[in-house]
Amino acid sequence: MEAAAGVAVGASVPNGDRVGIGWRPELAAGIYLHLAHIDVLEVLADDLFDAPNCSIKALRRLGREVPLALHGVGMGLASTIAVDIERVERMARLAAALEPEVWSEHLAFVRAGGTEIGHLAAPPRTASSVEGALANIERASRVVGARPELENIATLVEPPWSTLNEPAWVGAIIRGTGTSLLLDLHNLYSNACNFGQSPFALLAAMPLDHVRCVHLSGGRWVAAPSGGRRLIDDHLHSPPNDVYMLLEELAAATTQPLTVILERDGCYPPFNVLAAELDSARRALARGRSRPSLLLPAAA
Amino acid sequence: MSSPAIEAFLARLYTDCELRTRFLQSPAATAKDFGLAEGDIRAIATIDRDGLMLAAQSYERKRTRRSSHNRFRRWLRLTKRWATSAARCFRPKADI
Repeated sequence: MEAAAGVAVGASVPNGDRVGIGWRPELAAGIYLHLAHIDVLEVLADDLFDAPNCSIKALRRLGREVPLALHGVGMGLASTIAVDIERVERMARLAAALEPEVWSEHLAFVRAGGTEIGHLAAPPRTASSVEGALANIERASRVVGARPELENIATLVEPPWSTLNEPAWVGAIIRGTGTSLLLDLHNLYSNACNFGQSPFALLAAMPLDHVRCVHLSGGRWVAAPSGGRRLIDDHLHSPPNDVYMLLEELAAATTQPLTVILERDGCYPPFNVLAAELDSARRALARGRSRPSLLLPAAA
Repeated sequence: MSSPAIEAFLARLYTDCELRTRFLQSPAATAKDFGLAEGDIRAIATIDRDGLMLAAQSYERKRTRRSSHNRFRRWLRLTKRWATSAARCFRPKADI
């Protein structure tokens, strides 16, 4: 496993781009039946830390047929509080057992002062949280033996005390670590919708030359207490059309190969629906690769 | 800014309903009680309230979902273990 691993295996569309799906036990049968159309599988690390040996062995066998990526949610790397080394060691042990081609984590904090938030939270976007993230990522990379790809998160609340906007903050961490950005397009889309920005302008401001992997998912709109509505990234719905348009634009604006992962965490539809979403992602990539970027003409 | 104390305050604000209610009624006093510095108190008082409430609800749902998922997995593991032992007990002995 190498940091920012290359993407040469199982390319399904021109340019070496690949399309895969997040491994979930509920989808196992569909995944096995459609394995020929899945270029890569992303495995949730936190679900496997206490898994019995037989589950790890089964995934390892699966990893011989299709490349695996290991994805963590509980480390809390983007924090001024030092990362819990025990958690990182569990990730290192799992990575050693599964031999994924890459591992990834979120640019989020998940606990502080003895309180577990239970999910990913955006820290204040400041120079000190950049510094804290860089130190944590360095520590985690040393223990796991490879640098993680880092994912942008969705947030329903603009983190208070922020002095940097999201792209500047993400860019400072990505460039500071020299690692790759795992760009979650639905997270980006949700943040843009919730805070009155153009999703395409937000996309253009991200460090796109560092994107290696992309997440696609869906969400739902909820009413805000004082009027208006907000988009929640719940992974329980299909990606909206705008997210495929963002993927197409990303493919047009970049030249490096992209690995696109479809994420679904519940309300599972029949697998042929998910297979059709994988095809939609392939088509969006192909369309983007065949045209110049509308947002970043110089990059195309 | 963005110190461990600020992250700790945000974590509590996202997860502690009583603290959140108190904060929404009087942000500055609640932040001061938590020990935040004067400059930090001014910044938190302008937090996006809708976002805060929706985020807190969303985190609560995630925690509930995870805890019932973990309970189910524990139950599944115990059932499997019981089934394996039961199968071993009832397995017919091979003829000697």
